[in-house]
Amino acid sequence: MKKTYEILLSLRTSLWLLFLITLFFIAGAVIMPSYPELSSIDIPLFKWLVQQPSGAVWWLWGAVGLLAILSVNTLFCSIESIIKKRKVTQWLLLVSPQIIHTGFIFILLAHLLGAVGSYHYNAAVAEGYQVKISEGELLRIKNIDIQLDPQGYVNDWSLDLEYLSGGRVIDEDRIAPNKPSLHNSLNIIAKDVQPYPKAALLQISKDPGAVWALAGGLLFITGILILIALRIKMEK
Amino acid sequence: MHMILILSFGAYLFALFFRPFLFLGILLQSGYMLYRASELERIPLVGPHDTMVFLAASIAAFALPFCGKIKNSRKFHNLIAGSAALLTVLALIYEPRNFPLPPVLKTIWFETHVVLAFMSYALFGVASALGYVYIRDNEAVTEGLQYRAILIAYCLFTLSMIFGGIWAYLAWGTYWLWTPKELWTSILWIFYSFYLHARLRQWWIGKPAAIIGIAGFGVVMFTYLGVSLLMKSSHSF
Repeated sequence: MKKTYEILLSLRTSLWLLFLITLFFIAGAVIMPSYPELSSIDIPLFKWLVQQPSGAVWWLWGAVGLLAILSVNTLFCSIESIIKKRKVTQWLLLVSPQIIHTGFIFILLAHLLGAVGSYHYNAAVAEGYQVKISEGELLRIKNIDIQLDPQGYVNDWSLDLEYLSGGRVIDEDRIAPNKPSLHNSLNIIAKDVQPYPKAALLQISKDPGAVWALAGGLLFITGILILIALRIKMEK
Repeated sequence: MHMILILSFGAYLFALFFRPFLFLGILLQSGYMLYRASELERIPLVGPHDTMVFLAASIAAFALPFCGKIKNSRKFHNLIAGSAALLTVLALIYEPRNFPLPPVLKTIWFETHVVLAFMSYALFGVASALGYVYIRDNEAVTEGLQYRAILIAYCLFTLSMIFGGIWAYLAWGTYWLWTPKELWTSILWIFYSFYLHARLRQWWIGKPAAIIGIAGFGVVMFTYLGVSLLMKSSHSF
């Protein structure tokens, strides 16, 4: 038990884990192009993983296992560091790596939540079409507006949407490039639009990890910035 | 306009003998990028031509603050000038992409994502040159400078990933796509996380860390060029 605890607390363990994860990801990056089915994952990742041949996804299972150990290692190291050095005067220097670690854990949590509960599906739509987006809720395309430049390239576009429940409109929204409609934790974008005939390919997706990923990213970067600022100050 | 790039290539070559020519190379390439930006009415950072010019100029510019801090900076200076010249030649091989941006790229998230990514690549390149000089001269200061360059580059790269994730969520409905490009981006991030953690242990400080810092630039170049050329990528436009 003590031995396991020491291994989980060790920086050497972190290094081995980071090294192995790098190797597993390199294997994955080499294997992936040979399996076209890996390019589009429409169902939760874990559900999808069990359906795939092990020859195609062993690296991802391996990486998930290693990342799980790395997150425990990160937590242990952070807690131990705070306990050991709690009396130091430069508490920002002590805390900043732990902020980075917390950000990293949040990012891993985001991926875990996504792997369990994210999905997406596509629907080809024209003006007036309705798409079922959840139990009891429909999405209606009110209007598709596409602007072409003189060379015929799609210059800009927008789609006006209505959300319906029980036959009545409960919300309205507009989607455009990089402006999705966020509705009840769903993210609705248009993957493609075509002017003749006027139509769009909608993607309706749900990713419960997105907010955690953003929070994790912000914590991570805050920690690094504090660390760099302190180092510059110390050198001066 | 290609003449400006050819001149900048010449300036970098002359910089191998007369140091101030490095400034001239940076100036010429900055002018070239500004001209293209005004012509295209967008940030000229789509396709290998524009990105290589940006990378060449960034490597040369980011190297300047380090030049004065190394005792014998000739080797470092030559490595930087040589890299900038090589990237400029490569940029000249590729045709510039002058078509209008697809609507999905017209966003500040894309622009900041790409600019930060290439700035971090440039700093990783500078760090790699510092690592080489350290191994040759064995000056502890140089290895410390390599660490500093990598720490700042890692920060920029992380910011680029965050902006990229926000953009992907707004444009494609998910902050993460399981494509080789994303995997190589993760490999790069984890590789430098390994470097930063390894350097906390006494054994790694010095030559081992310098070697990892040099190898890291190989991962950078493969993530930038190898993935685009050899694999189907979410970053092909």
